[in-house]
Parts: sequence; structure tokens; C-alpha cells
Amino acid sequence: MVTKKDLKRIEDYLYEISKSYREDMRVPARVYLDAELLEAALGDRTLEQLVNSATLPGIVGYAMAMPDAHQGYGFPIGGVAATRYPQGVISPGGVGFDINCGVRLLIAGIGADEVKPYLGTLISALYRNVPSGVGKKGGFKLSPSQMDQVLEKGAAWAVKQGYGTQDDLERTEERGAMAGAEARAVSSRAKERGKNQLGTLGSGNHFLEIEEVVEVYDEEVADAFGLFPGQLAVQIHSGSRGLGHQVCTDYVRLLQEAVRKYHIELPDRELVCAPLDSPEGRDYFAAMAGAANYAWANRQCLAHLTRRTFEEVLAGKVRDWELTTVYDVAHNIAKIEEYEVDGQRLKLCVHRKGATRAFGPDRPELPDVYRAVGQPVLVPGDMGTASYILVGTEEAMRASFGSTCHGAGRVLSRKAAKRQIRGDKLKADLEAQGIQVRAGSMPGLAEEAPEAYKDIERVVDVVHRAGLARKVAKLRPLAVMKG
Amino acid sequence: MTSFRFEEIEHTADLALRVYGRNLKELFANAAYGMFSLMAELEELEPTIKREISLESLDYEALLIDWLNELLYWHEVEDEVYTRFTIHTLSSTALTATVEGVKAEASKAIKAATFHDLAIVKAEAGYVTTIVFDV
Repeated sequence: MVTKKDLKRIEDYLYEISKSYREDMRVPARVYLDAELLEAALGDRTLEQLVNSATLPGIVGYAMAMPDAHQGYGFPIGGVAATRYPQGVISPGGVGFDINCGVRLLIAGIGADEVKPYLGTLISALYRNVPSGVGKKGGFKLSPSQMDQVLEKGAAWAVKQGYGTQDDLERTEERGAMAGAEARAVSSRAKERGKNQLGTLGSGNHFLEIEEVVEVYDEEVADAFGLFPGQLAVQIHSGSRGLGHQVCTDYVRLLQEAVRKYHIELPDRELVCAPLDSPEGRDYFAAMAGAANYAWANRQCLAHLTRRTFEEVLAGKVRDWELTTVYDVAHNIAKIEEYEVDGQRLKLCVHRKGATRAFGPDRPELPDVYRAVGQPVLVPGDMGTASYILVGTEEAMRASFGSTCHGAGRVLSRKAAKRQIRGDKLKADLEAQGIQVRAGSMPGLAEEAPEAYKDIERVVDVVHRAGLARKVAKLRPLAVMKG
Repeated sequence: MTSFRFEEIEHTADLALRVYGRNLKELFANAAYGMFSLMAELEELEPTIKREISLESLDYEALLIDWLNELLYWHEVEDEVYTRFTIHTLSSTALTATVEGVKAEASKAIKAATFHDLAIVKAEAGYVTTIVFDV
């Protein structure tokens, strides 16, 4: 068990576990925290899991944990690990089951005040029109050939069907379609699970929220992102649904054999991996990219359903209710990216499991509209407090392979949350604070209570102060929909 | 949720079960019952459908995870919840079983059973293992 004495303070908010902590570590582990978050990380197996991820063959620099890190399976959630391409490994456990779980932020041209009289109608209509909940099937049923196109073309498929605009694609990480995706690498089981779940929100921590921009910290960047104080916004948190879960299940199983074949020793079987240039590694990458594209198509379809609902409820009542995309980010993914490491330009496979890409200015991957200022980083908080919009930095490029936090991070187990909090009381409390709630399951709502999460302000403060992203604006929820 | 067959244990983000069995067949059956009990109220359900399962895998641990993920797959695509699990044959690399259940949706989703820290351990009165589920 990692204890405080194993952690060396490198600078404010940055601690290191030396490579000598355990014999099988290939690099040191680094964690971005303040004193209070450090106590939380020491309270469960987060740091031990981080040390385990430092053993991956080909890992470069440090195995890193962001301030919202918490115990997961295999990697910690909030973990970042970069491996050398193509000799290093790729690990499905370093991406997670919900491949390309991520966030999309939409904004309107009006203040939130103008829609406050219609909020209840709006969130009820969204709850009716956007399928959500456990295993829910959606309105976009895919034929086998359509499925292949979704896997290879991602959000562009949805836009071609009329479910969005070219501008949406421009403002989506990877333009909504990762290169290297191959439908043939995705099993028929995964396709079966995904064929009627496109355009569904799911359950658990996934949500759709109507929000208000309550604070702007950096006017110049906010302006570039199209944000202003008081603005109406919508945030969508969802992923690749059953299709992504099955892709991860399939490859964790397949790679159990690959680790034997390539003589890879691991401290935890959930970390199974294969060299990026092996047939198994290439197949997983092709399947993961396909699942990531499915997730981008999913959030594109969810945005379309949201826009249609806004039109249904608001058209003719208020002006400028139309929603445009600020950005769409992935926070469970592995990407091939280039970085300067010890004076050398290296191609790396960056695993982000519960971590968000946070590219600083001038990266060619960024759309023209954001290249001068850096990438919008979307950090959703819990449903009772706030979410943040940050901007990527040059420091993140140097220190954390262009990565930062992804949310508040859990601190209370689901079991403990349900023991302490009742869903119906939570709903009443939130509504007393002016936050409307529509949820499919009251116990499910209780598991996601604000008390189950770390303080988002603290998490965001750490990444801001450590330079891994800068604060741009804060959002407050007005109405929340959960599956 | 405590019983002789399984118990839910604390995990910050996900769900974890400690599962017991007097023998391996019972351990596998209890793990499946435990998993579905996290997803739905099982006690009142009278099975009306049957499904035959046949799996091959690398070792007992991999077989256990494959077994649970196999059931999650059928649960999701067929909208079925299983309550009765009969393991016919079980070796270190193969399993045959019959599962019985009902057409129903779950009230809670489990994405997958994971290999995290997985070990089936021989205990005094049988076997014990801890399984972490991604939810």
C-alpha cells in the first residue's frame, strides 16, 4: 500500500512515487494533488493502481494521475500513460469499458434568464425525446452497412444523415472520426449491442444538463469559445454504450493470450496489453477507434435530439434559442500523438482513462477557430454544483502529454452513497435550489449525489495552478436529466 | 447485502462482490446470481425462459469472467434477467451450463465484469473470490 512517506513533493500540487518503490516499475509515477485530495487518494487503491500502470512495457516519462483520480480497475480513473509507438503496448484496461465516454458542450445566443419560464417544460420534453436509462434502445436503428459506416466515419455519418452541421464536426475532437478505425475489428456481438443504442444517453453518471454560464475568468479565451456571462448552455455526457463495453470485453479476453505469447509480465490481469505493432495490438486499436467513432456519432445524435426538442418547446417563444457546439471531448481513449521527450520528437500512444486532452495553442490537431488560444476542455462537475470550461496549455504539452482532469472524481462508494442519501430527498433538495431533475431511477440518482464526488472547485484549482489547463468559465446546472 | 453466497464490498467508483462457494461450480453459480442481484430484484422472479451456455477459456479465472460477461451480453441483447444457474460441467478451460430467467429490464446497468486483481482462492470451506464490476 502506498503511504505518504512514499510520495516526494516535486513542486506545488505535484508528487512523485520513485521508480525504486517497486521493482517492476519502468518509470516513476506522478500525481497532481493538493493536501486534501492527497488524503482521498491515500484512502483507496488509486496510487497502487497508478504504480501498476507504471509497469507497462514501453511506457515513457511518468505514469500520471490527475487530481480527480480515484480507484478503478486496472488503471486508476484519472490516469494517463504514454507508451512508445510502435514497440510499446496498448492496453484496453487503460481506456476502459466505456470507450470515448466524453462530453459535448452546446451554447445558445441568449441568456439563460430568457428560457427560465420554460425550463420545466424543456427538461420534461428532453426526458421524453432523448432515450435514457439502463440498456435503453434508441430511435436510430442501424443496418449492418450503416453500422460499418458509423464505426469508420463517426459523427460525420450522423451529419450526413442531417443530424448536425459541418461546424459541429469542426468543433469535435478528431472531427468526430478517429483515423485507423476498422469495422472488421469490431465483433458481431459488439455490433449487435450497438445497433439500436445510437442516440441513447445510458445510465450511471451519464447526463444531459441545461446550464447557465455564471462566471467568466478569461474574457479573451471565453470570447474565442463564444461564451458570455449569463449564457444558456447544454452539456451532454455519454459514450459508446453497449458496443464500446463489448469491444473492451472482447479484447481484454483476447489479450489474455497475447500477454503469454509476448511474454509480458503484469501485476494485474486487467492491465492486459499487446505491442502496438502486433496483430493483436493493431486489431484492438482499430476496434477501439471504431467504438470511439460510434461514441462521437452517438453524442452527435443526442445533440440533434436536443436541438429538435429546443425547437419544439422554444420556437416562436424566444429568439436565438438555436444551439451551436463549443467542443466535444473524449475522456476514455488511446491516441497516437507526438511529443518532445528528452529533446527527442517521439510518436506515443497516450492512454487517457478518465482524463481529457488539453492541447495548448498551435497544435495542428486543433480546428482553425481554436488554434490560436488552445483547445476547449470540458470538465463536468456533479449535478448540484458546477462544471468548468478550461483551455489547454503549453505546460500540459510539456508535463502531462497534453492531458488534464475529466471531472470531480468519486470519493464515496455507490453503496455508501445509497446508504447516506435518498434519491427522492436529493431530488427535492436540488429542486429547492432551483435545479429541476428528471431521473429514471431514484437509487441511481442517489449514487450520483453531489456528496459522492470530490469538490470540483478544488480539482479545477489544482490543474489551473499546476498549469495543466486554465480556467475560462464556470457553468451552473439549471435542469438535469439522468437515466 | 450479506449472505453465505456473496456480499457486496466497498469500491469507490464501481461495484465489487466477494463470492463464496463450497465448490467451484457453486462459486460460478453464486457469482452469476450475485451479479444479477446488483442489477434487479431477483427474489420474486419465477423463471420462464432457459438458455444453454457453453464456453472455453484459458483458466478458471478467465472462465469466470467470460461466464459473467456472456450472461451480460445475453441480458442486454435479449432483455433477459437470469435467476437460476445450473453448471453442468466445469474444468479449468471449459464450462457448460443452463441459465433460467425472465424477460425483464434491469434497474441498474453493469458494463462488464473485470479481471482486476482477480484470483479464485481455496478457502477452508471451499472457494472465495472478489470480482470488480465496471458500472
